[in-house]
Amino acid sequence: MGFFVTTLTFIVIGIIACLCTRVCCNKGPSANLFHLTLVITATVCCWMMWAIVYLAQMNPLIVPILSEGE
Amino acid sequence: MAEHGGCFPPMDLFRSEPMHLVQVIIPIESARLTVSYLGDIGLIQFKDLNSEKSPFQRTYAGQIKRCAELARKLRFFKDQMSKADIKLSAKSEAKAEFNLDDLEVKLGDLEAELTEINGNNEKLQRSYNELVEYKLVLQKAGEFFKVAQSRAAAQQAEVSSEQAAEESLETPLLKDQESTTVDQGKQVKLGFLTGLVPKGRSMAFERILFRATRGNVFLRQSSVDEAVIDPSSGEKVEKNVFVVFFSGERAKSKILKICEAFGANRYPFAEDLSKQAQMIIEVSRRISELKTTIDAGLLHRANLLETIGQQYEQWSDLVRKEKSIYHTLNMLSIDVTKKCLVAEGWSPVFATQQIQDALKLATIDSKSQVGAIFQVLHTKELPPTYFRTNKFTESFQTIVDAYGVAKYQEANPGVYTVVTFPFLFAVMFGDWGHGICILLACLFLIFKEKKYSSQKLGDIMEMTFGGRYVILLMALFSIYTGLIYNEFFSVPFELFSPSAYACRDDACSEATTIGLIKTRDTYPFGVDPAWHGSRSELPFLNSLKMKMSILIGVAQMNLGIILSFFNALYFRNPVNVWFQFIPQMIFLNGLFGYLSLLIIVKWCTGSKADLYHVMIYMFLSPTDDLGENQLFANQKTVQLVLLLLSLIAVPWMLLPKPFILKAQHNSRHQGQSYTPLEGTEESLQVETAHDSHGHEEFEFSEVFVHQLIHTIEFVLGAVSNTASYLRLWALSLAHSELSTVFYEKVLLLAWGYNNVIILIIGGIVFIFATVGVLLVMETLSAFLHALRLHWVEFQNKFYEGDGYKFAPFSFALLGDEDE
Repeated sequence: MGFFVTTLTFIVIGIIACLCTRVCCNKGPSANLFHLTLVITATVCCWMMWAIVYLAQMNPLIVPILSEGE
Repeated sequence: MAEHGGCFPPMDLFRSEPMHLVQVIIPIESARLTVSYLGDIGLIQFKDLNSEKSPFQRTYAGQIKRCAELARKLRFFKDQMSKADIKLSAKSEAKAEFNLDDLEVKLGDLEAELTEINGNNEKLQRSYNELVEYKLVLQKAGEFFKVAQSRAAAQQAEVSSEQAAEESLETPLLKDQESTTVDQGKQVKLGFLTGLVPKGRSMAFERILFRATRGNVFLRQSSVDEAVIDPSSGEKVEKNVFVVFFSGERAKSKILKICEAFGANRYPFAEDLSKQAQMIIEVSRRISELKTTIDAGLLHRANLLETIGQQYEQWSDLVRKEKSIYHTLNMLSIDVTKKCLVAEGWSPVFATQQIQDALKLATIDSKSQVGAIFQVLHTKELPPTYFRTNKFTESFQTIVDAYGVAKYQEANPGVYTVVTFPFLFAVMFGDWGHGICILLACLFLIFKEKKYSSQKLGDIMEMTFGGRYVILLMALFSIYTGLIYNEFFSVPFELFSPSAYACRDDACSEATTIGLIKTRDTYPFGVDPAWHGSRSELPFLNSLKMKMSILIGVAQMNLGIILSFFNALYFRNPVNVWFQFIPQMIFLNGLFGYLSLLIIVKWCTGSKADLYHVMIYMFLSPTDDLGENQLFANQKTVQLVLLLLSLIAVPWMLLPKPFILKAQHNSRHQGQSYTPLEGTEESLQVETAHDSHGHEEFEFSEVFVHQLIHTIEFVLGAVSNTASYLRLWALSLAHSELSTVFYEKVLLLAWGYNNVIILIIGGIVFIFATVGVLLVMETLSAFLHALRLHWVEFQNKFYEGDGYKFAPFSFALLGDEDE
C-alpha cells in the first residue's frame, strides 16, 4: 500500500517539476523537450532508487542483530 | 544530406546542428573587412584551400611577418613592464580605430625610445658603481697608509732614540752600519696598486700573487662591510679592498695580469695625503650628481612604461586579431582573373542569415563596388559536429567529448549524461552531510561566477570552476541518496517515521542473538535506521546495494540499446533495427532483464530462493526441477524459452547482416564498372576536391569480421558490463565504512575522554580527515568511476564518437588559444 502511494507521490512531483520548468524557462519547442527529458530522467532515477530500497525492506530475510555494546 | 527519420520532434542537443558547406566569393578590396566581420560572428569554420603551399608561399605571408614583429615588440614591452613592476591596466571599452600601419610606426618609435633609455641607464649605472668602488678604495687604502705612516714614524723615532742612547765606542760596527743604512734612507722605491677583489677569491688572489712574484710582494687586504654592486656584472658582491706593494717592472706586469684574471678592479691612488682628501671630495660630488641623473632617467622610463601599460591590452588584442585575419585570408584561394578570393567553410544552417548580413555590412563599409557572393555547396563529406551549449550544458558536453566527439547527427549521450552522471556519482557517494558540504562549496563558486570567469585561474581551480554545474548536480543528488541510505556523516536519523524494527519482548533479551523483528510498516523513505551499527548490517546492505547496482546497470544498458534504435531510425537503417537492435534487446533482457525480474519478485514475495543457484543452473541444467528455488509458477518453462531465445539471438546478430550488406552493395553498384565523370557544376575549381571517393570498396571478409567482433563484444560484454556496475556497490560501501571509522574512532573517541583539549584536537583531525579523504579523494574516485561507467558500459551500446568538433573562426575563442 505504502509503495503505491509513494509512487504516486513521485509521479505528482515529477509532473509539477515539468510544469515549473515549462513556466520558468520556455525557450522554444526543442529546448522545452530537452528540459522535459531532463526532468523525467531525474524523476525516474530518483523513483527507481527509492523503490529498490523500499522493496528490499518489505519482506526482509534477515533482521538487525544488535551488537554487544548497545 | 541528412536522411531524417522525422517522426520524432527535434530536441535541443540530441543531435548535432545541421551543417552545410558554404562558399563565399569576396572581392579583394573588402576581403580583410569581410573576414573581420565573419570573425565577430564566429560561425564559420574555414577550410584550408591552399594546403599544398608552404607558409612562406602564401599570399599574405608578409603581413603575418609584420604582425609577428609587432607581437615581438609587445612582448618586449610586457617584459620591461614586469621588470619595472608596472601593472597593466584593464582593457578599456573604447573602440579605438587603430590602423595597422599607424600602430607599427608607433610601436617602432616606442621600442627605439625604450631601448635608448635602457642603454643610457646602463651606462650611467656602471659609472656610478665604479665611482662607489673608487670611493671605498680611497677610504680604506687611505687608512692603510695612515697607519703605515704612523708606524714608520714611530719606528724611526725608536731607532733614532736607540741610536742616540748607544753612541759609544762599545757599539759593534755592523749595527752602526745597519742603522746608518736605515737612517740614510737608501730605501728601495716600491710601487703599489690598489683596488677591489671579490671576497670569495681573495685567498686565491693572495696565494697566486705570492707564488707569481716569489714572495716579493706585500699585500694588505681589508674587507668592506656591505656588498657592492659590481660594475660589470651588475650584481651585489662582497669585496675586499687590497693594497699590493711590489718592486720592479716585471712584478708590476705580472700583478696586473693576475688582477685582470681575478676580476679585481684597480683604481689609482695618490700617496699624498692632501691629494687623497681632494679625491674623496671630488668622487663624492660626482656620485651624488650621477645619482640624480640616474633617478631622473628611471622616472622618465617609468612614465613611458605607464603610458604603454594603459594601451597594452588593446594593442595586443588588435595584433592578435589582425594575425588571425591574415592566417584566415591565407587559407582562401585567390582567383587572379576575377580579382577575388574564394572561401569555403562549414557553417550551421541557422547562421545563414547572420552570415549574409555580415557580408552586406562589409561590402558597405569597405565601399566596394561588388558585393560578396554566398552559395551553398553539396558534398558527401562528413560535416563537423556542433552542439549549441549554454554554460550549464557545456561542462557535460565536455565530459562526453573527452571520450570522442559525436559523429555528425548521431544521438548525443550528453542529453542523458546531464542527469545520469551525477546520479551514478551520488549512488557511490551517498551521504547527505557530505552532500551539503559540497553544495555549499559549489554555491560559492557559482555566486562568484562573474568574477572568476574573467580572471586567469590555476589549472586545478580552472577545472573545478569549469565543472561547477556538474558539481552542483552531484551535490544535490548526493543529498537525495544520502537521505535514502540514511547517512549523515555516517549517522542515521529517524526522520520519516519510527524504525520498523523492535524487540521481540519487553526485556530485549534476544536482541543480540536472534535480533529484532519487524513490527511496524516498512520504513517509508530509505534504509531503516535500526540497521546502522548492528551485526547483520553488512550482509543486509551488501545484498541490497549489489542488487540495486544490477538493476540500475540493466536499466542504463537498455537505455543505451534504445538510443541505438533511435539512431537506426534516424539514419533509415532497417538492417540495424532488425538484425542488431532486436537480437541485442532479446539477449540482454532474456538473461539480465530476467535476473532483474527475479530480484524484484524475490523482494516482493520474501521467498528464500537462491538467485545465484537459479541463474547458474538455468544454463547448466535447464530442464531440472527448481524445487525450493521456485519463485513463480511455470518458472522452468519460462527459463527454457528465454534460454532458447538468447541462444538464437547470437547467430541472429552475427550472420544475416554481412550478407544483407553485400546484397545491398551489389544492387547499388549493378553494372557500374567505371566511376562516372564529374558532372558540370557552376561553382569554381573546388569541385574536384569533393566526391573523389564516390566508389566505395566492399570487402566481405572485412565486414564479416567486423560483425563478428561486434557480436562477441556484445555477448561477452553483457556479462562483464553488468558485473562492472557492481562498482556502485563497492564504492558506496567504501564511503560509508570510511565515514563510520572517522566518526566512531575519531570523534566519539575524543568525546569519550571528557577533556576539552582532546575534543578540540579530535574535532580538528575529524574535519581534516573528512575534507581530505571523503570530500576530495572520494569525490574524485566516484567521479572517475561514474565517468567510466558512462564512457564504456553505457556508450559502447550505441555511440560511435568518431566525428570532429566544429572549430569556427571566432575572435572570442582567440583569447583562449593564445594563453
